Amino acid sequence: MSLAGRPTISPSPREGEGRGGGELRRGLAAALLLVVAASMAATIQPGELTRRWHLLVRSISGERISPGEGTGFLFDRDYSVFLEEVRRRTPEGATVAVLAPSWPDVYVYQAVYQLAPRRVVDARRAYEASFVAAYWIDAAVAPGAEAIPHGTLSQR
Amino acid sequence: MTFVVAAGGVLGGILVASAVGFSLSRLFAADLTRAELASWSLSTGLLVQSLLLAICVSIAPGCGPAPVLALDLLVVATALLVAPIPPPSPRARGGQGEGAILLLLAIAAAAWLVFLFSAIAEPMWSTDFLAIWGLKGKTIATTGHVPRRLFDDPTLYWAHREYPLLVPLSLAMMASFAGGWNDQALALLFPVCELATLFVLFGFLARRVSPLAGAAACALTALCFPLYRAVNAGTAEVPFAFSLVLVCCAFLDVLDRSLPSVRARLFAASLFCVSIKQEGTLFVGLLALALLVRRRREAWMLIAPPVLHWGALYLLRGPQTRRDFKFTFFQPRHWAELVPRFFHVLGRILGTEAIVGWLPLVAILVYLLVTRRGIADSLLTVFPLQILCYAIAFSVSSFDPIWAVGAFRRIALTLFPALTLALCARLPAGKPAASGAATAQP
Repeated sequence: MSLAGRPTISPSPREGEGRGGGELRRGLAAALLLVVAASMAATIQPGELTRRWHLLVRSISGERISPGEGTGFLFDRDYSVFLEEVRRRTPEGATVAVLAPSWPDVYVYQAVYQLAPRRVVDARRAYEASFVAAYWIDAAVAPGAEAIPHGTLSQR
Repeated sequence: MTFVVAAGGVLGGILVASAVGFSLSRLFAADLTRAELASWSLSTGLLVQSLLLAICVSIAPGCGPAPVLALDLLVVATALLVAPIPPPSPRARGGQGEGAILLLLAIAAAAWLVFLFSAIAEPMWSTDFLAIWGLKGKTIATTGHVPRRLFDDPTLYWAHREYPLLVPLSLAMMASFAGGWNDQALALLFPVCELATLFVLFGFLARRVSPLAGAAACALTALCFPLYRAVNAGTAEVPFAFSLVLVCCAFLDVLDRSLPSVRARLFAASLFCVSIKQEGTLFVGLLALALLVRRRREAWMLIAPPVLHWGALYLLRGPQTRRDFKFTFFQPRHWAELVPRFFHVLGRILGTEAIVGWLPLVAILVYLLVTRRGIADSLLTVFPLQILCYAIAFSVSSFDPIWAVGAFRRIALTLFPALTLALCARLPAGKPAASGAATAQP
């Protein structure tokens, strides 16, 4: 890469710099920027890019990429199906108590985000909710609750 | 609704925002290149749209995008009345190495495409998107107003209710164009912000240094995949990096010549920067300090926007506590506790983060030693001070300070595009463009 230019605009040219020294300096500067660029570019993950490219092609061809297929539910794919069912069965203005593992905390974040604008509360505030959605609770042990995929939903 | 249709709606929303921003930016962009004007149009448009949306939904909740569009038309008409004739754009400096310029721009374009398809391949999913930016945006978009519970519901204690709202409001505005909340199509906003960052870098450096410097900065920035990666689509990092470059460019222009239009740009960029992340207020404050040290009155163009922004947010949502920080550590009686925490944090940053990035860090340091001073060297003191402030902030964390340091790399990387501005400004300058010269128009 040629970095040759007219250095007359530079605020403080180094005095006594010969042509050879200047060339060397410019070459070194270019090489150093190349090192910075290569270090950044090296962080790319080709396998991940390929996966994303296929997802994008499917999206463009009209297929819906459900949240469960994406990276956001890698921690628990079933949870996506459960939340989608809760979302489908509850009105937007409702307060929903979601009983799910507290760790990893993305259980909470996914519930609150996927069910928005519904207000989502945890077990401690279940008394404020008009619906209680319990993940991986069998309907048999939750009397009055309706069985939904991977859990139960009850209305108060 | 299919992804393509929703993406078309989001693009339409971005174009409308840019058109509104263009009508206003022309008032202070007479000395900017077209590439810079495009970036200023987007930033000003996002700022105006989010402000108009916040006002409209506060007055008439659930009113939809129509009142915002009506106000948009009013803004555009007023701006056209004030300045009906498009100002001539300056030409880029001349210089050698057109082949190198094209090669660097091609690399930048290819790297940008990688971020584009990474970002929009699936619904946005990062934790910060779900818990903070996306949650607020989706709630505003689907309820048609800014619910109080986003700021006072104890169940959302982790949603950072104290954060600025430009990103959620922009997402909500784009959603109204897309016909609903489509968290895959909305991801388009983030590659567009990266593109605007590249445009402003190229335009500014082509105007003030050389097209080669601009192209080099573009390539370096676009290759910063640790910043421009799928996990950051949906968070404020990418728009924030854009705002940092804008405010740096305006700051450097003010140092060069203090025209009313340049001061207006500094004000607009500062407002945009503080409206995205809290760190923006810190950065703008440090730039203001740099101007005050030089006894420049333009510092007010950096001080007034944060005051206005935080004042407006106070009116919208009332006082907010910052749960992340325990400011009592700054009291003299806690200094004995604070100092070891600070060195603990510093040790962690130097011991892990700096070691991971030792190669590019050393390359940057050597580069600064072997290159001549550049027009953006005044920024080189601001970046380390910003990093130092991050270390201090982690030291007063309400939680384990080492846990907080986990966010350090993500936050620090937002400075990289602005750093490339300072680095590439040290490349040899081109010839000043003569009037009517047949030089490239960026």
